[in-house]
Amino acid sequence: MKSRSLSVILTLVLLLTMILSACSGNKSNNDSSSTSSSSSGSTASSGSSAASSGGEGGSSSLAGKKIEMSILGIGGWVPSQLSVEMSPAFAEYAKEKYGYDVTFTFEEAPFSSLFQKAAASLSTKSQEFNIIISDSQWLGAFAEPGWIVSVNEIMQQEPELANIEWFDPVVQKAYMTYPDGTDQLWGFPQEGDVLVLYVRKDMLSDPTEQANFKAKYGFDLPQTFEDFEQLTIDKFLKMAEFFTRPEQDLYGTAVQYSKEYDYFTGSFYPHIWSSGGEIWDPVSGDVYGVLNTENNAKALETFVSIRNYMPPGAENYGIAQVTEAFTQGKLFSAYHWAAVGAAMITPELQDKVMVVPIPGYEVNGEIKRISSIGGQPWVINKFNDEDHMRVAIDFLKWWYLPETQLEFAKRGGNPTTKAALESPDFDSIQPWFRAYRYSLTESRARDFWHHPKYSELLSIQQEEFTSYLTGGRSSAAETLEVIACKQQQIMYDAGTTKNAPPAACANIR
Amino acid sequence: MKGIAKWLHERNLFPYALLVPVLIFFIVWNILPLLWMVGLSFYKYDITTGEPLKFLGMDNYQAIFRDHGIWQALSKTFLFVILAVGLETILGMALGFLFWGSSKMPGRRLALTLLFSPMILTPVAAGTFFRLIYDPVFGIANYYLEAWFGLKINFLGDVKWAYPAVLMVDIWMWTPFMILMTLAALGSVPKAELEAAQVDRLPWIRRLWHIVLPHGKFILMLGILLRTIDAFKTMDLIYTMTSGGPGNATELIAISLFRKAFEAFTMGNASALAIISLLIAIAFTSIYLYILNYKERRA
Amino acid sequence: MAKSVRQSLYYVLLWLISIAFFLPVLWIFLAAFKTKEQILAIPPKWIFTPTFENISNMFSGMNFEKYAVNSVIISLSAVVIAIIVSFFASYSFSRYKPKGTDFLMFLLLSMRMVPGAAVVVPIYLMYTALGWKDTYYGIILLYAMFSIPFSVWILKGFIDGVSLRYDETALVNGGSRMHVMFRVILPQVKPGLVAAFIFNIIFVWNEFLFNFIIGGKKVTTIPVALATGLYKTHGVDWTFIASLSLVYMLPLILMIYFFQRYLLVGMTFGTVRGEV
Repeated sequence: MKSRSLSVILTLVLLLTMILSACSGNKSNNDSSSTSSSSSGSTASSGSSAASSGGEGGSSSLAGKKIEMSILGIGGWVPSQLSVEMSPAFAEYAKEKYGYDVTFTFEEAPFSSLFQKAAASLSTKSQEFNIIISDSQWLGAFAEPGWIVSVNEIMQQEPELANIEWFDPVVQKAYMTYPDGTDQLWGFPQEGDVLVLYVRKDMLSDPTEQANFKAKYGFDLPQTFEDFEQLTIDKFLKMAEFFTRPEQDLYGTAVQYSKEYDYFTGSFYPHIWSSGGEIWDPVSGDVYGVLNTENNAKALETFVSIRNYMPPGAENYGIAQVTEAFTQGKLFSAYHWAAVGAAMITPELQDKVMVVPIPGYEVNGEIKRISSIGGQPWVINKFNDEDHMRVAIDFLKWWYLPETQLEFAKRGGNPTTKAALESPDFDSIQPWFRAYRYSLTESRARDFWHHPKYSELLSIQQEEFTSYLTGGRSSAAETLEVIACKQQQIMYDAGTTKNAPPAACANIR
Repeated sequence: MKGIAKWLHERNLFPYALLVPVLIFFIVWNILPLLWMVGLSFYKYDITTGEPLKFLGMDNYQAIFRDHGIWQALSKTFLFVILAVGLETILGMALGFLFWGSSKMPGRRLALTLLFSPMILTPVAAGTFFRLIYDPVFGIANYYLEAWFGLKINFLGDVKWAYPAVLMVDIWMWTPFMILMTLAALGSVPKAELEAAQVDRLPWIRRLWHIVLPHGKFILMLGILLRTIDAFKTMDLIYTMTSGGPGNATELIAISLFRKAFEAFTMGNASALAIISLLIAIAFTSIYLYILNYKERRA
Repeated sequence: MAKSVRQSLYYVLLWLISIAFFLPVLWIFLAAFKTKEQILAIPPKWIFTPTFENISNMFSGMNFEKYAVNSVIISLSAVVIAIIVSFFASYSFSRYKPKGTDFLMFLLLSMRMVPGAAVVVPIYLMYTALGWKDTYYGIILLYAMFSIPFSVWILKGFIDGVSLRYDETALVNGGSRMHVMFRVILPQVKPGLVAAFIFNIIFVWNEFLFNFIIGGKKVTTIPVALATGLYKTHGVDWTFIASLSLVYMLPLILMIYFFQRYLLVGMTFGTVRGEV
């Protein structure tokens, strides 16, 4: 009987000690991390001195150690997946070249919650994730709080990384630079990506279709890559209309209209840029007056009109839904990221799909096309201890080796180095590489704001855009007006622009 | 050890000692974060800018009161709570009564298990699969609607349909809970009184009114109360299905809150909204409990 | 004769209702044994050759075991701690009625009212400051907190239903308070314990947001793994979601099947202790 009551009180005490030990658990955690970093203190000095003397063999002091690296990447995303699959090759390379054993663990989160996952961890100064595959727009949000390592500093120590030549200046702009227009670098490109058009070649080359189309619209269905270079949005929409046959369960095209993450935005922006519009003025920081223009309203109307040629339920189409509809054979064409090529061109669709640049807009008699930049940079956790930092850098050096980049390309990733993209038969490695290489230039592709308020800017317009799409806003002009007002306010509050939103903004709802 | 218990007893502290663990939980995990939240609600705190906290006073609150979207979200939430809880209660009670006399039914245990299964499904899985079920191209719902009634409804892509569509999923998930509560309420009615009523040949409506309700009221009301609280917080189910869209068609207050906190990362603003919604929740729960107690006292 | 026909019809109706509610769940369960093409097939496939590949893939991939073990450890400890703690409190509320009992009971309920997305922020900041993020005790005690209010409410009801005479008799016979609580009262409130257990475990078992934000790779549970693994390279990973949902739901379904009697009695909040 007494032992009963004893055990009960013990339980109580246990509970209290649990709570107390929880507090002290914190300390022990810190202790362990500090010991591990202090134990590598000697490594640090020798490592950096070796690095400054040419970089080679810099990690000799790591030799014999066992390191566990942790990477956070994007769930269900081919290129992130590829780094998982290729990591054993690095382990072999590291063992041979530097003499240490490295194993990788991978965590993943979907696009819409990757930053939450990373931010929640990084703000505790944790090295839970040593390397993160971030979306390019997040660079500012990672850099400002001081969570990631400055790439400029790494490059000073590692000439090998500093000397990598990128295919086009847009690579550095999109995947490395923050703030826009400076030479401060924060990431290394992991995956290059642009929005491209996937088209069913087998339908295009069908003689009956060709004849019927010509009879109906008076021009030929484009057949070659060069034909598509000349394709304008007006002509393309006619093609989409032609192939929209609900009775056959076939639809002309698909874009992303979903409210989730940046899906609507990433698909829509090319229509603004290609038609000659801008989304903001990066120099003055103004949105109002730049975004809400007649040109952009028209672009929004055009973009929304694409819904007529999409399967029912288009309003909820995101990355996964477009891929699903296309691979299930329900689409003649699809605007989609070059990164999902491996998923879009399934074994059943092999040789039936061609990948071309997105349709352009005719501006002043010339065809203009500016695609959205997708893709992700690697960013390195600033709270890594010396050992993990060393391995992270070794890993990146390996990543940009020509063999590695080539292997990445063969498995379906989009490399970004000049060496890889300018290798003689690059275009033939993957069906989408020609369109990818064609589009990945400064004049043909752009990323959106690398601003620490990226997420708030995005959240606002995703809601307003989808609201307009589904009839919640009466006109495109009104929608852009509302977004411009709200974003101008955010930029003003953030100190990016000196101009407060105009008085007219007080009346928006 | 026994000495401690005795010592506590002598000073009449034993009852309070028993409460200590719960109070610790309450203070550490409820009061502290709440105070933290109140504090944050007066600051500008954007996780992504890395700027230090900036004191704003009541600005966050003013911004919320001026925000048209929040008012819309609130009215959608109230409507959601009323419709969801109302229909779940009506349906749950009706079905609960129907199941009442089934104690000798073959396989009753299995039938009830199947009946209760919706409420144990992980909301993320439920939301994702209902996206598929509702899909106009791949979805089973539209297939049968078209086959049987010649209808094709773009459930989650149409502003008119998205709200009723997510409401239906909530009702499907939580009506079983109200059935469970109804069965429990009916079970709490003393059998003797029921038998007496049977002997007296009272019409069923009077039996319901005079015998069943007075006994079962408390449990039913508690069920409704719990559902009300949870419906007010509904988030992950709807967020998985629509992210609050299309536009803001299904954006309930908890989703606005989530988007402020984890899409825009404006924590100060989100905290202010959290305080407001907490106050609302407390307000209507107290009204509720007051009515419950008031009736109890009269009875 | 007529009566038995009516009886059968009545039972058939009840069965149909149960099955109707179960249908969407059944649809997910069936999907666990289909290929992706079969899941997306229109017209829907009700009859097909089942494949067990999805389930075996799931077991072999994605650290399934680690996450499942986490789910079990975290859910069980959180709910058990909550019930022990709640039992103490409800005994006190029921037997001693300390000052402010009603108010405290209401305050406890208010723990449930705070929207998760709101409270996760300050709790996250607190956990960061204290170093509790991604720790078992951090997540377990948090879930225990969520499980307390309902447990206290239900257990207080049951203890109220146990006559004071039991306490008195035991005390007179020389038993200690602890003896009374654990030997005399506890066995009598078993349905309440079971109901509190099941009701709370449904919540904790399926909780996503808190684990996602204040957990980390060490304490990841299945719902988080489910949400982060939604997409595969070829679109939504339907087979994975379906098979994981099936496997993950089974323990709860079995629990409801085997403890149904207690669950029903438990939900009466102590007003009956017989059969329902």
